[in-house]
Amino acid sequence: MSEQRDHLPTIMPTSNRPINAGAALDDDTARLDAVAKVTGRARYARDRYEPNALFAAFIRCPFGAATLTGLDEAAAKAVPGVVDVKRTGDEGRYHGEPVGFVVAESKHALRRGLRAVAPKWKRGSVKTTITDDAGPIPATEDDVAEAIANADHVIEAVYSTPVQTHSALETHGVVVDHRGDTATVYASTQGTFSVRDGIGDALGLARSEFEVRCEYVGGGFGAKFGPGKEGMLAAEVARRHERPVYVFCDRAEEHLDTGNRPSSRTHVRVGFAKDGTPLATRVHTWGGVGVARRGGGARIPSQRYDLGSVQKTHEDVQFNAGGPRAMRAPGWPQGAFAEELLLDEIATVAGVDPLALRRRLDGDTARRAMYDLGADLIGWSRRAKTGTQSSVVRRGFGVGTTSWPRIPARAEAEVVVHRDGSVEARTGTQDIGQGQRTAMGVIAATKLGVPLRLVTVMIGRSSYPVGPGSGGSMTLPNTAPAMMAAALDARSKVLEHVARRRGMEANELTIADGYVIRGEERLVGWEDACRGLPDDGVTGRGDGRSGAAHRGEGTSAGVQFVELTVDSETGVIAVERVVAIQACGQVVSRKTAESQIIGGVIQGISYALFEDKLLDRNLGAMVNPNLEMYKIVGSRDMPHIEPVLWTQGQTGVRSLGEPPVVPTAGAIAAAVFNAIGAPVRHLPLTPDKVLAAQEGGAA
Amino acid sequence: MPHENDDPTLPGAAPPGRGVTRRSFMQTLGISAAATSALGGEREATAAVADDTPVLGPGPVPITLRINGKPHTRTVDPATTLLEALRVDLDLTGTKEVCDRGACGACSVLVDGRLTVSCMMLAIDAVGAEITTVEGLARGDTLDPVQESFVRHDALQCGFCTPGLVMASRALLDENPKPTLDQIKKGLSGNLCRCGTYTNVFNAVLEASGQTPIADAEEAMP
Ligand code: FES
Ligand code: FES
Repeated sequence: MSEQRDHLPTIMPTSNRPINAGAALDDDTARLDAVAKVTGRARYARDRYEPNALFAAFIRCPFGAATLTGLDEAAAKAVPGVVDVKRTGDEGRYHGEPVGFVVAESKHALRRGLRAVAPKWKRGSVKTTITDDAGPIPATEDDVAEAIANADHVIEAVYSTPVQTHSALETHGVVVDHRGDTATVYASTQGTFSVRDGIGDALGLARSEFEVRCEYVGGGFGAKFGPGKEGMLAAEVARRHERPVYVFCDRAEEHLDTGNRPSSRTHVRVGFAKDGTPLATRVHTWGGVGVARRGGGARIPSQRYDLGSVQKTHEDVQFNAGGPRAMRAPGWPQGAFAEELLLDEIATVAGVDPLALRRRLDGDTARRAMYDLGADLIGWSRRAKTGTQSSVVRRGFGVGTTSWPRIPARAEAEVVVHRDGSVEARTGTQDIGQGQRTAMGVIAATKLGVPLRLVTVMIGRSSYPVGPGSGGSMTLPNTAPAMMAAALDARSKVLEHVARRRGMEANELTIADGYVIRGEERLVGWEDACRGLPDDGVTGRGDGRSGAAHRGEGTSAGVQFVELTVDSETGVIAVERVVAIQACGQVVSRKTAESQIIGGVIQGISYALFEDKLLDRNLGAMVNPNLEMYKIVGSRDMPHIEPVLWTQGQTGVRSLGEPPVVPTAGAIAAAVFNAIGAPVRHLPLTPDKVLAAQEGGAA
Repeated sequence: MPHENDDPTLPGAAPPGRGVTRRSFMQTLGISAAATSALGGEREATAAVADDTPVLGPGPVPITLRINGKPHTRTVDPATTLLEALRVDLDLTGTKEVCDRGACGACSVLVDGRLTVSCMMLAIDAVGAEITTVEGLARGDTLDPVQESFVRHDALQCGFCTPGLVMASRALLDENPKPTLDQIKKGLSGNLCRCGTYTNVFNAVLEASGQTPIADAEEAMP
């Protein structure tokens, strides 16, 4: 079956989410690449085993700090199938830092070669957490200190979050098919063009001489921009040997050296009035950036709540670990966790309902309406007052909020209409699972006025029109206006031809449901109309600016409600239900939009309950660089999740990727506090911490 | 083991797999070598280890795997896992490699109908078995009902976990045609999805087994 037939749209209505009926430009079409993905025909970069390919991998430091004192290159080169061994450095500053690489004819030879080099190491001393090196909190400004001191109540607390790895199921990697004066680069990337722009020198080719392709990408979540060291290694080896080269991290390497959501520590002192209104807040955060210099910011205050006069300071703290990379709403879930739990602690001291407190502190009109809807849907009236339950299994309710800006980026698109009526919608941007392919098809078909089955979406190639990387929720908000403009441009070109042949004015005509229409009259069917086009068809072009009228302004607001239980004897938390209300402007494809929200919530649950990159405090080595000990939420931990697409007052296409992951962990922490009567201020919310909090009050 | 289930109605609870001992494997080779000239080289391999303790490797070993109803013969390194044989040697890349140590289920296939993580099985141990991969579920353009309901309920995002979840769902329904939600959660607990598709997968499996997906609350938008 050809790839294009794999992308044929299928109209498949579902009725289990009545609240979202009619929310989108397209409610019922299944994801365009769903068939390719469920049949195994979708070919990811990691699936490219080119004939005659070489395999390469890094030799990596196994400790938090160590000097390489010996490497048996001769032994490795003697292994049948090993082609090359290279030492590139002597110092390992973190577990996983590359100090050389091996190239071999097969995966087996590569593995044996990596064993045979038998590196010798001299270990150094290590730092493994923020607290090993955190500086003091800078002085508090006088007016803030005074306002806090004069308040009716003061809460002073420390919150912390662990290192979370992106753990995309397709690891980082690149396959380079080098043919001497041209090359094809198959990348698992969130940024087609970022790979092109970063890999050219290593390939020894001009940007015009090679193409980057990412037809399917097995997740990214912020860690996959640029060629990465994997891509640079593949390019260099491919250039040297003029052969295809395959470099993909294994699961351990993925945890160790492809970025992470940095750990955080948040110290808060807040003074508030009797009714819970914050008067002044002093926040200091530390971010754990490993060997990187920055990137550890934690977004508290979020600006969604009025916390009185605020003084915020931040320090990035280095230790012996791989550095962070942007991870789905970088810095925001860390901040939201501390802030949402803090608000519930304030409400409890003040004796007010935490939802009522948020309503008072949150000025956003959309969210204020979302609070009402969500409270009804979750059944907030069933919430017991915090600290009043004594049963074995205790029920908790929590709420958290989110927002995300629309970040402008350059984006262009093309819509080609052929004489046979078939349509190509082209953008070089990538589909990393968010549904970009589907959204592009829906937009092109809708704006052109033809059925989606006529449209072939062509994405993920550096030879297609330029667009942003999939970070900061930038892809659709910027490519949607470009694709709309391209489709409208193609439409007017088609209509000009039809009008000219019939002696009409183009502006009398329009296209809808696959017909050219004048007034009420169906003038001619789409395919017949296209037959009159020039041989090479017509091409409509659009960019984000020409589509400015379709651009969404403003933020994507959201509110999430959580219902859970805590077993007070075992400390185990069972999340039962999450209602996630999310605005994102004009929804394009209902199903993929719902999935984005559900996926954000699920990652938030995983962050709240399980994930923790643990380093051995003596060796500095990660003790759980796998998927059995680095625990990610699984099917048995799933609540019922209800994504609600908020459409009221929404204009343009806005951000959707990041906002749903922001509030979940905070809402869960608030719900746990509600259930057991003591806050657990350190993620992940594992049973030991829950039990300790129950025993001793705040943990 | 793909699953550590306590519920005997679920996949993974079956007794330890069929397993091909090295000895019986060599016998298999001997028979096939006699039967087909294409495998001529194996006669010597058999002869060379004709005593009681046959040893495979360290050199490459010719094997024949029956995959999706068709035999495929390749010469592989004896350390090759079934997963690597499928992906690297046979270019059947629908089966995904994610953890390579039995923790995620992305590499799930059916071996004689039994759900198996192919990264934890040597290719030479799969000789003689009937292997079904995700490529073998659809009949031409007609999707398996599990695949079709995955598509309908958007039970996939990036799609990298999807082949494994499709196979695990198929195996679950083969053993338990009408699983409860709880049985579905247990039956799929060996499969990790990072994008977060689990709840849509549950709905897909419910629908593929003729049951009603779980409906969200209904409420008018203000
Ligand atoms: S790759 Fe086999 S279980 Fe993860
Ligand atoms: S859909 Fe991406 S990992 Fe499951």
